[in-house]
Amino acid sequence: MSASVLHRRFERERVLTPGPFDERRRALDAFLTAGFPTRRDEAWRYTDLKPIAEGDFDVPPREVDAAVRERVRALLADVAAADAGDAAARIVVVDGRLDEALSRLDGSAGLEIVRLAPEQTADGRRGAAPHPLALLNRAFASDGVTLRTARGADVAGPVELFLVASGEGRIAQHPRVAVELGEGSRLDVVVHCVDAGNAEGWLNVVFDVTQHEDSRLALHRLQEHGARLHHTSLLRADVGRNATFVAGYADLGARVARNDIDVRLAAPGARADVFGVFVAAPGRHVDDEVYIEHAARETASDTAFRGIADRTGRGVFRGKVLVQRDAQKVDARQKSDNLLLAEQAEIDTRPELEIYADDVKCSHGATVGEIDADQMFYLRSRGVDEQNARALLTFAFANRLLARLAPERLRERATRLVAGQLPAPPAWEDVE
Amino acid sequence: MLRIENLHVEVESKPILKGLDLEVRAGEVHAIMGPNGSGKSTLTQVLAGREDYVVTAGTALLDGRDLLAMSPEERAAAGLFLAFQYPIEIPGVNNAYLLKAAMNAQRRARGQPELDAFEFMKLIGAKLELMQMSRDFLRRSVNEGFSGGEKKRNEILQMLMLEPRLALLDETDSGLDVDALKVVANGINSLRSPERSMVLVTHYERLLELVVPDYVHVLANGRIVKSGGRELARELDERGYDWIQAEAAAS
Repeated sequence: MSASVLHRRFERERVLTPGPFDERRRALDAFLTAGFPTRRDEAWRYTDLKPIAEGDFDVPPREVDAAVRERVRALLADVAAADAGDAAARIVVVDGRLDEALSRLDGSAGLEIVRLAPEQTADGRRGAAPHPLALLNRAFASDGVTLRTARGADVAGPVELFLVASGEGRIAQHPRVAVELGEGSRLDVVVHCVDAGNAEGWLNVVFDVTQHEDSRLALHRLQEHGARLHHTSLLRADVGRNATFVAGYADLGARVARNDIDVRLAAPGARADVFGVFVAAPGRHVDDEVYIEHAARETASDTAFRGIADRTGRGVFRGKVLVQRDAQKVDARQKSDNLLLAEQAEIDTRPELEIYADDVKCSHGATVGEIDADQMFYLRSRGVDEQNARALLTFAFANRLLARLAPERLRERATRLVAGQLPAPPAWEDVE
Repeated sequence: MLRIENLHVEVESKPILKGLDLEVRAGEVHAIMGPNGSGKSTLTQVLAGREDYVVTAGTALLDGRDLLAMSPEERAAAGLFLAFQYPIEIPGVNNAYLLKAAMNAQRRARGQPELDAFEFMKLIGAKLELMQMSRDFLRRSVNEGFSGGEKKRNEILQMLMLEPRLALLDETDSGLDVDALKVVANGINSLRSPERSMVLVTHYERLLELVVPDYVHVLANGRIVKSGGRELARELDERGYDWIQAEAAAS
């Protein structure tokens, strides 16, 4: 999308969602000074944004169409029914617009949900380098929410957030989600990125997380877009004293998926557990980039990702752990394991440590391999045929981290989707 | 049941089995003993269908069918079972799932109806008890983090569930204490029947006190150099293998 196209889109968005626009225009101008990153930019070396940059995606309509709403309603019943009653709130964003008819925003005890006015959106943590797609999100962020927990609140049930591509038109949507956890509070957020129909377009979401002392946030996200949707996400988290941040990502769809997770452990006792699983089916591209900054002493992080690529599927994991000079007694772990199902498949993995303190415990490791021949022989010697044995071992590989997804319904859905992408899906019903 | 003639096998271009003959009839239990590196494990692996073992000459028939032409899973469906010397760990796949997948794959291959979850659980309850294993064990990943003894018990549990026609047990007794050895031997003995045969590969005589074989063979340098009855195992236990190798060299 050229500068003139983006300007035209921007003017349309301005008419559709009136309000103060100066901040947003500044973000657009800042984005346009460099434009879409290319593979010459180190941070984008492994992911080509051309399909997005040249996508000529439109801004979404102002309101969710009634027919689309019914389609989304049916989809939600299918993907989230069992949990609906337990959820603390349900937020449904369709093509970038929050749909209040499908959502339940009244929240529960200790949880406040505020629909964002575009001008209110924060822009990631202080001092962080501007992320080009976050700038574009800021310019076009047509909707979003802030979730805020009260001091000491233990919110019962997860907040379910659905980011839906309706399949109507070719839309670029830029929702924003801010999460602020009060001191000593706990919150679970489930993010479900899904298509209602054969959607073609781009979803570019920004999560902005602030955690105060002793709080605990768990954010689990399942991305299951179809083959014509592009997905980019940026999550920035600022984690305070003795607070714990947990993120679990499953990327099982999209044509191009790129996720940036950027965590700052700002005060002693802060902890981050970040894990993810991706399956890059033929023709798909998934890129997970995890950056963890240990800015204070006695902070801990554990990053674990597992990737699978089949035939023309392509996967990327890059992780960086930065330990600042005064951040002594840090415990940081980083692991990336990858499985190639065919010769042409490719996964690039680069875990990195950058340490300026001297009293730290850090480890990192990466593996890229094929299915283990001894395990294959063992299964086949028990009568399991070759195709099923391969599927079972592939599944088992992913399941090591999928098993950490929560709540159970999300885990089960992710599990079924992974099994369904395998050459011979194992019948994964439980035996007990 | 099993007839092996003139079997030659190479591993990484190195000859390991050099003209092995063995016949096992229905209902018989044979023990194969021999020094390290004589080819005992190679024999069991090649019979189970391990791909990197190359058969350069000879035949192996199971119930008259050419075993060496079959895939590992076809051999399993035909009734062959190998209890591994070093059972493989499979993180992420639990024992119950493997057992059920294996049983149903074999049943499908034989044209039998699959077991449902209820039938499966009923069947496994008694076998777990016999092997003195707790039910939690079914939820654990296959062999992952198991002690040596647990792994061996797990192999026998699988054998009890799969009820093979021909069981090959590769050093199932190694690494077991006296109590565990008794449990494993009980498991093996419970499966002895006139229609079923077993080949026990072992270093030690002590398993053969508990699972009494009909025949004992000595494998040395890739061939069976001496065969006898139960008493041969005792003699080997007392005298070692040198005298047999000397005898074989002389003849």
